[in-house]
Amino acid sequence: MCHHRRMDEFAGQIDRLTRAIGRAAAWLVLAVVLLQFALVVARYVLGFGSIWLTETVIYAHASLFMLAAAWTLQAGGHVRVDVFYAEAAPRTRALVDLVGALMLLLPFTLVLFWLSVPFAARSWAVLERSQETSGLPFVYLLKTVIPVFAVLMALQGVAQAIRAVRRLQGRGDAAS
Amino acid sequence: MPLPETLSILLIVAVIAALMAGYPVALTLAGVSLALAAIGHALGAMNFSILGALPQRIFGVMTNDVLLAIPLFIFMGVMLEQSRIAETLLERMGRLFGSLRGGLGYSVVLVGALLAASTGIVGATAVTMGLIMLPAMLRHGYDPRLAAGTVAASATLAQIIPPSTVLVVLGDQLNNSYQAAQLAEGKFAPNVISVSDLFAGAILPGLLLVGLYLAYLIAVAWLRPASCPAVTTDGPPAGGILEALLAPILLIAAVLGSILYGVATPTEAASVGAVGAMLLAWRKAPLGALLRPVAEKTTQITSMIFLILIGATLFSLVFRALGGDDLVQRALTNLPGGVDGALLAVMLAIFLLGFVMDAFEIVFVVVPIVAPALLKMPGVDPVWLGIMMAVNLQTSYMHPPLGPTLFYLRGVAPPEITTRHIYVGIIPFVAIQLFALLVLWFVPGLATALPHAFYGR
Repeated sequence: MCHHRRMDEFAGQIDRLTRAIGRAAAWLVLAVVLLQFALVVARYVLGFGSIWLTETVIYAHASLFMLAAAWTLQAGGHVRVDVFYAEAAPRTRALVDLVGALMLLLPFTLVLFWLSVPFAARSWAVLERSQETSGLPFVYLLKTVIPVFAVLMALQGVAQAIRAVRRLQGRGDAAS
Repeated sequence: MPLPETLSILLIVAVIAALMAGYPVALTLAGVSLALAAIGHALGAMNFSILGALPQRIFGVMTNDVLLAIPLFIFMGVMLEQSRIAETLLERMGRLFGSLRGGLGYSVVLVGALLAASTGIVGATAVTMGLIMLPAMLRHGYDPRLAAGTVAASATLAQIIPPSTVLVVLGDQLNNSYQAAQLAEGKFAPNVISVSDLFAGAILPGLLLVGLYLAYLIAVAWLRPASCPAVTTDGPPAGGILEALLAPILLIAAVLGSILYGVATPTEAASVGAVGAMLLAWRKAPLGALLRPVAEKTTQITSMIFLILIGATLFSLVFRALGGDDLVQRALTNLPGGVDGALLAVMLAIFLLGFVMDAFEIVFVVVPIVAPALLKMPGVDPVWLGIMMAVNLQTSYMHPPLGPTLFYLRGVAPPEITTRHIYVGIIPFVAIQLFALLVLWFVPGLATALPHAFYGR
């Protein structure tokens, strides 16, 4: 069934994309740790502060969890209430994932995309910069992270739904 | 009841019902809230355009510098876990106290407290202690229920003893509510409550819990000696205990010391702790091999927490648009018993929600709804309220079916320990936590004395 194979391939491509972005974003943790520590040394040892560096840490932190959220979903890292889910039959679980992806995840991410594109566009239009004079001039980039987050999550939701359908059909790989 | 308020109640009911299905919590919160907003819009109970505030709210979460402490503390905890520093401490502490009746239990509680004060992650502590101490306790004839209960309770100390990620988010949410409550009363130069206040306030209640756990174990060792026999040690008695203690103590001194003396913000102190943990790990293992797994695990935990916050943001937006917050406030102020009645209702609600939700979800969803109303009431100190909530939230880590601690423990426990052993084993410890809550209710000074001494609040 070449139709099924194409669906599996599409889900696999989404997985690879979100995993690559998530694992790259994970390195931002080190940037957050080291730059925040550098700020502490600068403030308490050398006696100066840097708004520019402070905002860099905030940007790294924000991008970290926004860009890695879809990968975390793929890896099963978002907590579930598993009173019933943990004990449920594989088909029931697949059904929960399918309905959840279609009724909860996708509407949320699509609405967020629809709301956040104009939000980011307004920022791009004026090339919005930090309210601090010596801050970073890239507020528009940070705001763009929101629609990017929405797209990545929506894609991962599609992959999740495809996997769930395949499990319900009793074919394809069991991994979600 | 007017339609919007009916819908706000429906929203809560629908969220809880949908959560039970088992789809990720954060997305369930967001999706159900969105559906209710659409229904509310269609019925004329609210305007969908209110959701236009969502991107700005999410941007606020992204640029919140208090919450920046979260990945730093998580990094520190995961680094200590993966570099096996915690394991060494546990093994050596076990050898130090093992020859006493109940001794392995005491070491679990003490190491739990030390790890709590240096990492602040319940999951990491539960896994480490479950992996090492459960088999050791069983091998030496401990009652499996007592062993499981002790490990679970000691691991949850990470949630109350500062630095704790739950206290960071609680401090942030409470401060928002506190500002709102004061503005509503026409106070234009409002007081603030900081994460540091909560850290200082949590120290004595945390030590109270450690003391109560130890007292309970001593009582058990005396009344039912067969359930926790002494260990005949064969190795060197306390080899290197000081060296093993050095790591956590250095970290605690650096992190807590700098926060409590008001020198550093929790975020700054957390970065010192994170770099400190890296240096300590470096002495034990090649850092290069550790960095990727630690960074990835930290990233996923951080993403998980912040996605819940984003889902809860949408929930509160819709709940408020439907007038749910007024409803809760009226309900709380009209309860019999005044302030005490309202507090009791909120504490009971948090305890019950703990059966289905974890601490972060409760903080993000419940605090913005109830705290503004409570903080307007006379005699409710924000730090005291926060610590009461934090001690109460500890039980949510413990009670079945959803306590994350139980979940972690079940994952690493040896096969002789059944789920039933764990469920029964935690009962006395949940009772102790509720007793501590009661003590705190009548002795608020336990929570407020230290913040007062350190910051003159």
